[in-house]
This record gives sequence, C-alpha cells and structure tokens, in this order.
Amino acid sequence: MEFVEALGEVGWLDAMMNSSWGWPAVESLHFMGLSLLVGTVGVFDMRMLGLGRGISISSMHGLVPWGVGGYAINVLTGVLFLVSAPDQYLYNPAFQIKITLMGIAGLNVAFFYCFVFGPAKAIPSDADIPLSAKFAAAVSLTCWIGVIVCGRLITYYRPPYHWCFWC
Amino acid sequence: MDYFIWLEETGFSIWMRESGPAFFSSLVLHSLSMAMVVGVNVAIALRILGVAGRVPVSAMARFTPVAYWGLAVVLISGGLLLVAYPTKALTNPVFYFKLLAVIAALFIARGWEKRLLRDAVYDTIRLPKKARLVAMASLVLWAAAITSGRLLAYTYNVLMASHLP
Repeated sequence: MEFVEALGEVGWLDAMMNSSWGWPAVESLHFMGLSLLVGTVGVFDMRMLGLGRGISISSMHGLVPWGVGGYAINVLTGVLFLVSAPDQYLYNPAFQIKITLMGIAGLNVAFFYCFVFGPAKAIPSDADIPLSAKFAAAVSLTCWIGVIVCGRLITYYRPPYHWCFWC
Repeated sequence: MDYFIWLEETGFSIWMRESGPAFFSSLVLHSLSMAMVVGVNVAIALRILGVAGRVPVSAMARFTPVAYWGLAVVLISGGLLLVAYPTKALTNPVFYFKLLAVIAALFIARGWEKRLLRDAVYDTIRLPKKARLVAMASLVLWAAAITSGRLLAYTYNVLMASHLP
C-alpha cells in the first residue's frame, strides 16, 4: 500500500496519467496486452479443450511466452492505473473480483506446469486430451474471460457511489 | 443532424442509454468479442512471423471460427452502442479511422483464410518476406483499431444531437 502511494507520487508518472493522452494511451496498451494474452494463452487453452486436433500440445505451447509478455504489459499498465487512483480500485468490487480471478488463474498456472503439461506434451497430436489438461484449460479461459468482464465493469462500480455488500 | 435527433429519440435508443444493464452489457460484450477477434488474428500473425514454428500454418485455420463468432458479437454490440449514441460516434473522425483500420485488418484476415491458411506448402518452411510484412501490418492495424476505439470515449465533439443548442 505504501509502495502504491509512493509510486503515485512519482512526478512524471503522475503528470502522464493526468494528461489528456496519458490515461487513454495506457488503456490502449492494456487492451493490446490482453489481446496478446487471449491470442496466445487463450488459443493454447482452446487447443487443450479439443479445438485444432492434430496440432501437438508442445508445439502449440510455443505461443505461450508471448502471452507472458502480454501479461507483463498488463501488470505494468495495470499498476499505472492503480497508483494513479488507488481508492477507485482497492474499494471497487469489480476490481476485487478481477484480482481474485487473477489469483485463481495464477494457481492454475502452477497446477498446470506441476502436474499437467509434462504428460500432456507427450501425447500424440491427434490423441484425446487428458481430463486434467481440459480442466486446467477451462479454468484458465473462464478466469481470463472473467478478468476482462470485471475489468470493463470497474468503471461502473467506482466507490463510494456504488453499494457493495462486502466493502 | 435531423436523422440523428430522430434516432436518439426512438424508444430503443433511449432504452439503450438509460437502462444500465443494456448499455454496460453491450460494452462488456464488445470488449470480450473484440479480444476474441484480435486474439485469433494475433495468434495467426505471430505464427506467420515464425512464433511456434512447429505448428503447421494451415492448422491455424482451425481457430478462425472463433474469430467469426467474435466478429458477429463485435458487430451486434457495436451496433447497439451506436444506436445508444449515434451522434457521438458518427460526428467523430476517430470513429471512421477505427472502422477503416478494422476493415483493412479483416481484409487481411480474409486473404489468409482464402490463400495462406489453405496452402500446406508453408507449414514447415519460413514464410516469404511479403507474408511476414502483411502479418506485421495486421498487428499494426489491430493496435490502431484498439487505440482509436479507446479514444472514442475521450475525443467526441458532440455527445447527442438533441442536446445541441
């Protein structure tokens, strides 16, 4: 929290985010990062759910590092929003659900690399996908769709105008 | 302007503006479906540029239906947002820029589907320079569409024709 406040006071960041172009520019980058994530991790998830049978899981995984890049862009740009108006986010139910879903997606990534990816990349490219891989893919897609929905809804649940039963 | 005023005063347009859920669910669906369309196009462009080189280029065609479903939702939700605030978008040059960027990017996507993704010759070899340039152009066009789309919320000249003096 102190870190968030300290970053919010960095002069040039503050000036950029309060300029007429700063906020929309960072929002645009945030959407590009999310498109990169959906286009790589999302497409990889769809492959594990059975779309694109014939493409091996391990070769499809080549897209994923670019998704990590998209994720990094979005953490960076997301932090910029957060530090510019912390109370608009921290007490915002849409933001809280978004962060929770990101946490679940993070745990799912750990589950995937610990238990699922090893066996899944060894199967032939047109074999049936193991249930554990389908499960991880479904959790991932659901979480990221939820993250996009909640992200878009943040603006509708700005405190203190909106009632929220756990805030 | 008269036409905008008429449209803004139709019951449907008023409902789109004033019913909270109708408007924000259109916004949410527009974001989600845009991510589907751009996402699949980004995946194909990355593959053409050499990312995930062991995936056969032609196999990427399996994911295009996702982009088509996404596009249908983009058009419907975008149309609804347009009905809610027709003047806001149609009097803003940025809106036409976004439209052009999307049309050009879709034109590239159609070209991929009709040629590149049908041809297995490039499945295992590096793609020609021209194809890689087109893939770069697609990424740039989608980035332009996203940026101009986001700017629509900030750059409009007139929110509603019926509010003009």
